[in-house]
Amino acid sequence: MRFSEAAGRKVVSTSTAGTVGQIDGFVVDPQTHSLVALTVKKSRHGDTLLWSSVTAFGVDAVTVQAADAITKCNDAVAALSGKDRRMIGKRVLNTGGEDLGAVTDADFDPATGRLTTLRLESGDIDGERLVAIGSYAAVVHRDA
Amino acid sequence: MSRLLRTSEVTRRPVVTLAGQDVAQIKDVVFSAGGGAVIGFTLAGRGLFSGPLNQALPWASVMALGPDAVMIRHEEVFAPSATVLDGSASSVGSGGDVLGSQVLTESGTELGTVVDVILETAEAGGGHCDVVGYEVAASEKLGTNGTRVFIPLPDTLAASSEHLIVPDSATRFVAHDLAGFGAAVKAFRHELEGPT
Repeated sequence: MRFSEAAGRKVVSTSTAGTVGQIDGFVVDPQTHSLVALTVKKSRHGDTLLWSSVTAFGVDAVTVQAADAITKCNDAVAALSGKDRRMIGKRVLNTGGEDLGAVTDADFDPATGRLTTLRLESGDIDGERLVAIGSYAAVVHRDA
Repeated sequence: MSRLLRTSEVTRRPVVTLAGQDVAQIKDVVFSAGGGAVIGFTLAGRGLFSGPLNQALPWASVMALGPDAVMIRHEEVFAPSATVLDGSASSVGSGGDVLGSQVLTESGTELGTVVDVILETAEAGGGHCDVVGYEVAASEKLGTNGTRVFIPLPDTLAASSEHLIVPDSATRFVAHDLAGFGAAVKAFRHELEGPT
């Protein structure tokens, strides 16, 4: 599933069947190549939905057990989020010091949260190759 | 595979850690005493108003000298400038000293003045970073007054801030573009090594 498709999707509580928020952004842990959390807007409980609290990432809605699955940002997530860690729009450098262009979009597996693909104008990069996301660039391993 | 690049292309290139932070940029290239290899880089801070840093980057800590960035593992690989500069000869110190020098052949013909230094580095990163030649604003002796040509260097050479001495045979391996220069350097060095 594309980041661009998933953004804006509503978050629905399965216990009350009410909409409790809307997906705003994605928090990626480059070490595990997967999503650790989603940032959420329009929620009264906070702005962070940990991946582990997601019941299902569906085609039309993200379901959670209750509205309080959405929490305030914790330290671990804060370290991976913020402008410096945002992946979309970031310059990509490989470990050989070559600029590959900017990230336009990314794909993740809605079942596991694993980052599968980085989409660049110059082509796709396997999510497994991601090394880190820093203020200057996202670093990826060069082609084997 | 190896790649040729100008020293002037390397300066101002960002130094980026594997964590994706741009921690410095290249200020100048430091050559070894014999003038034959790159031993490190002096650094400047990133940003419009940041000055030179008193830290330098030893060549051994460079993961890759890429076309768009110099990659390092982390910021802790920087060493105090003095320790990196210690290994360089006073007379062939930095690229700034070599630029503007006259290139003379062993028989005393002036070929031109140095405008840039050509480096060779392995594509995969690591390994050596050698000085393989100079880009020279040619004198009329090379028949192309005012144009820029590439002159290959032997592994070691005599150099002062005034003059660089190259073997007479170097004039036969002059290249007019960087693309053909790699082969010229190889042929030139092969001839110097071979029995004559």
